[in-house]
Amino acid sequence: MHDHDDHAPETAAAEPPGFYEVLETAVRELLVEQGLFEAAEIHRQIDVLDSRTPALGAMVIARAWTDAAFRARLLADGRSACEELGISFYDDTGLIVLENTARVHNLIVCTLCSCYPRPVLGLPPDWYKLKPYRARAVSEPRKVLAEFGTVLPDDVEIRVSDSTAVVRYLVLPLRPAGTENFTEAQLAALVTRDAMIGVVPVRLPEPGDLP
Amino acid sequence: MTSTETLATRLPNDIGGVAAEAISQIDHPLLPWEKRCHALADVLDFHKIINTEEKRRGVEALGAEMVAKLTYYERWIVAFANILFQKCILAPSDVAQRIRTIEHELRAGLRS
Repeated sequence: MHDHDDHAPETAAAEPPGFYEVLETAVRELLVEQGLFEAAEIHRQIDVLDSRTPALGAMVIARAWTDAAFRARLLADGRSACEELGISFYDDTGLIVLENTARVHNLIVCTLCSCYPRPVLGLPPDWYKLKPYRARAVSEPRKVLAEFGTVLPDDVEIRVSDSTAVVRYLVLPLRPAGTENFTEAQLAALVTRDAMIGVVPVRLPEPGDLP
Repeated sequence: MTSTETLATRLPNDIGGVAAEAISQIDHPLLPWEKRCHALADVLDFHKIINTEEKRRGVEALGAEMVAKLTYYERWIVAFANILFQKCILAPSDVAQRIRTIEHELRAGLRS
């Protein structure tokens, strides 16, 4: 006989849904019953959200580092260049790609809420949505960067771009020295979410770093 | 500057440039209902029922106390409900009734 005891983790950990979770269910079900959309659309969109990770953005950056013509197209029209690589803009936002150089470092923020290049990076981390980053990125970006361990020389200009509902930004980081012989895939593996937000540079792994 | 002036010049969302504490690099994987709420937001936008800017203003209209005390997706779902009431797409009484029904079904084990 199979023993269904009370140690089953799926029941032991289960808490009843809270008020806001129930509210979400109520609103969604009523809208579906009115025929405004189908329940399957929610499931499909969850799949879309799950398919978007910083790996997509990293693929874009690695291509830009290795293909000058693509890089030019990316800087001219971020969205259409990403679409060339098969990345759809499900939220119908524009994308401006900001190129870091030896003299200019870019940082992205959304001071009003949480606008973010979701089609290419997925959903933003909590810290991007919380007050300290949103409030301070525009007024003291060097201090903010230092809190991420990024200290830039004083002669490097820092440009902060504030996202909107319809225009999103992505940072094209500097390609690290010593990667001249890297393949596109090896380059993409170096590019992190935070580098594409602009809070850290892309670094080569240090000896002893965990893979 | 008077003590109330910033209430008029800065709405709750408008925090760019204000003093704030150090950044804590926190993150959490979305709870299943939070992900459903995000997908709901996208689907409402696709169908031109609530767009991103309406959502942002809906969150702002919750006022400073709710903005401060509710979590991110809690703010979203309350804002969606309010906007749907304003647009006469949903009636508050229908939502209240459905909440009672869902809570009853949860207690009775009829849904999880």
